[in-house]
Amino acid sequence: MIRVAAVADVHFGTESHGVLRPKLEHLGDRADLLLIGGDLTRCGGPAEAQVLADELRGLPVPVVAVLGNHDYEANREAEVRGRLEAAGVRVLEGESVTLEVNGLRVGIAGTKGFGGGFRGAHGSDFGEPEMKAFIEHTKRLADRLGQALARLDADLRIALLHYSPIEETLVGERLEIYPFLGSYLLAEAIDSAGADLVLHGHAHRGREKGQTPGGIPVRNVAQPVIGHAYNVYTLEEHSNKSASPVGIGDAARRR
Amino acid sequence: MTDTRDDYLSEHIRDQLIHDSRVNEQDLSVDVRERTVTLGGNVSTPHLRESISEVAAELLPDYEIINETRVVSSSEPDGEETVR
Repeated sequence: MIRVAAVADVHFGTESHGVLRPKLEHLGDRADLLLIGGDLTRCGGPAEAQVLADELRGLPVPVVAVLGNHDYEANREAEVRGRLEAAGVRVLEGESVTLEVNGLRVGIAGTKGFGGGFRGAHGSDFGEPEMKAFIEHTKRLADRLGQALARLDADLRIALLHYSPIEETLVGERLEIYPFLGSYLLAEAIDSAGADLVLHGHAHRGREKGQTPGGIPVRNVAQPVIGHAYNVYTLEEHSNKSASPVGIGDAARRR
Repeated sequence: MTDTRDDYLSEHIRDQLIHDSRVNEQDLSVDVRERTVTLGGNVSTPHLRESISEVAAELLPDYEIINETRVVSSSEPDGEETVR
């Protein structure tokens, strides 16, 4: 069994010293790892990332994160990532990491993800170059997430995202903004590769619990949703979800 | 009765709050009625909540600003969930 602590959308500013660290005092007693699903900073400034990095440095459990849209605002995402990694936080984008926890290999594949919408109402890479760029970005990140998950050789696999792969955890948000909150392409990639748990943030007015069409549990851990410094999810080794069949030629069509 | 210009004004204020470096927050609602602006949504710190009022007052000095934003709780979790 492993215990996964997770949170997203902490939105650290330069004045956020001491906002999180005191609440992580018992983290080592309650969880085996901490995953953070993006929007680490308010506007993507390295100084903001440094404040968070200082709060996360030296924690008794491994910390893995993805970036969110806010972390790209200043066009300094590489520096944001660098500040966090210097503090020992592993930051993933289309990449994975495998950790040894309680004798189990825990694989985490991560991406920011992106939008587009959901079944029956997804944007298309058709028409103007701006629209093509939008949807192609989502397809590229979904593909890379699926490949990273599929390559993992682990007893338990977790997909860590910022954008949502499903609509169910967006309920409470205005329907008009669903295409900016996530994409079914992310869920399809996850269902194709298989996983035990999916974590995301971004939807502050959404709800916590849902599942992919393939039955993989999804949790929206945006801090305004969970109302805590983090939530803890326990996973058993036997819960491992294998890959689910997806639509005809979906993966091939995206490439 | 709401002035139709208030519809555009509320969106201009929302846009300014997203881009002002003191705020940079997308998850805010802005409602303008007559000479009153009501702000809502979740924010990460009390300091940010104050900054929202400050920026709104600068933008609309002749309006009453009602800041109903809520600072998100970041207490330790109550328990854990077994995911199956």
